[in-house]
Amino acid sequence: MSYDTEHVRNAGNGPAMITGLPTFTDLLTNTNLADLYTAIRQSPGVTAPELIDQVAVSKKTVYEYLHRLERAGLISETENNGGASTYDAEEFELTLTIRGIEITITPKLVAVIAQSDEYPIIKRVCDEHGFVTFALAHDLINAHSDGDVTIRQIATLADLSHGTTYDLLEALYEIHNLGDDDPTPTIYTPDDVVDDDLQSELTDE
Amino acid sequence: MTRSEKLYTANIIDTVIFRSLGKSPSPQLRSLKQAVAEAGTELWVSPSIYRELTNYGEDPPRNPYLDTGIEEGWIRVATSLPNNRNTAFDSVTDPVEQAQHLADEYLNQQSKYPSTNNWRDASLVALAVRLFEQNTRIRVITHTADKALAQACARIPPEFGYYDIESRYYNPPQKAKQQFPTVESLSWSTK
Repeated sequence: MSYDTEHVRNAGNGPAMITGLPTFTDLLTNTNLADLYTAIRQSPGVTAPELIDQVAVSKKTVYEYLHRLERAGLISETENNGGASTYDAEEFELTLTIRGIEITITPKLVAVIAQSDEYPIIKRVCDEHGFVTFALAHDLINAHSDGDVTIRQIATLADLSHGTTYDLLEALYEIHNLGDDDPTPTIYTPDDVVDDDLQSELTDE
Repeated sequence: MTRSEKLYTANIIDTVIFRSLGKSPSPQLRSLKQAVAEAGTELWVSPSIYRELTNYGEDPPRNPYLDTGIEEGWIRVATSLPNNRNTAFDSVTDPVEQAQHLADEYLNQQSKYPSTNNWRDASLVALAVRLFEQNTRIRVITHTADKALAQACARIPPEFGYYDIESRYYNPPQKAKQQFPTVESLSWSTK
């Protein structure tokens, strides 16, 4: 099963029809569903009893969610040698362009949604500003870790307050283990950064 | 006495650093107060950064991160900086305003999303140049969690002849919780 429209593309396989868009949407807003999908993605070939031990919903809900995810093409079911059902997650990639910025929605983002119980700021941003804003901020915060954007720019581009942006930034840096490993701050001096005639270069432009 | 022994060190702090320490009272702010005293320095913020941290939902508005330190005298808020972003650079003669314009352009040039940077980012650089303009025996340390801004802080003041500046970049930002409120962090390095 795979997705392919102008926006949704299965990351690994060829084009096919979207059959489970409502479930796909639920995946981005339902923490428990996101948690189950992420658990399957992290443990290919996992069985239902193993999943019941891992996630925070009832046995009945696990089977209901497995059925929904499979119907939507987000997971596939096979049988192992012992005859038990095992599950594998399908990769996907959804690309949106918001305010001139391309946002990519992938299983990595779903894995973040799955942790929103542990990081209430994620749920707050999704609830108060919508999932697309959250996805935009998520991409911008990844760009921040590369030095491509400042925190105030993230706040402006995602239309979030500086305080909310900082709280989200701290959570996502922790979840994705972003940043360098050196415990001390990097120190820049003029010797590190002064090279050419900056005034001419910038004012000419 | 060497030249460095005569110099006073000022620290300019970005909003994100105070956010990482939490609202007063917090153990990190207590450590910071002690480190400021031991390092013999003062912390400076621009007015726009003060406003960014102020809670305007209270009556009267209160700044839960800075007000205690300001009242105790170890945090200082600068007087207003130039705020004419649309003025052409060629028509600006004030070095502080020139520095803010240069920082603004530099940040746009460095960003993945040009022309979307925030004028408040450039206020750190402008404040550094103002402290140099107003004090002949000073050196400045800036603290931020934005890479391009950290580089701008070390890059722009030399354009005005000020080389006694160090810029400290905290990545990940939460590194500041432990690393910022220390004597070492607030003191001139031997780098």
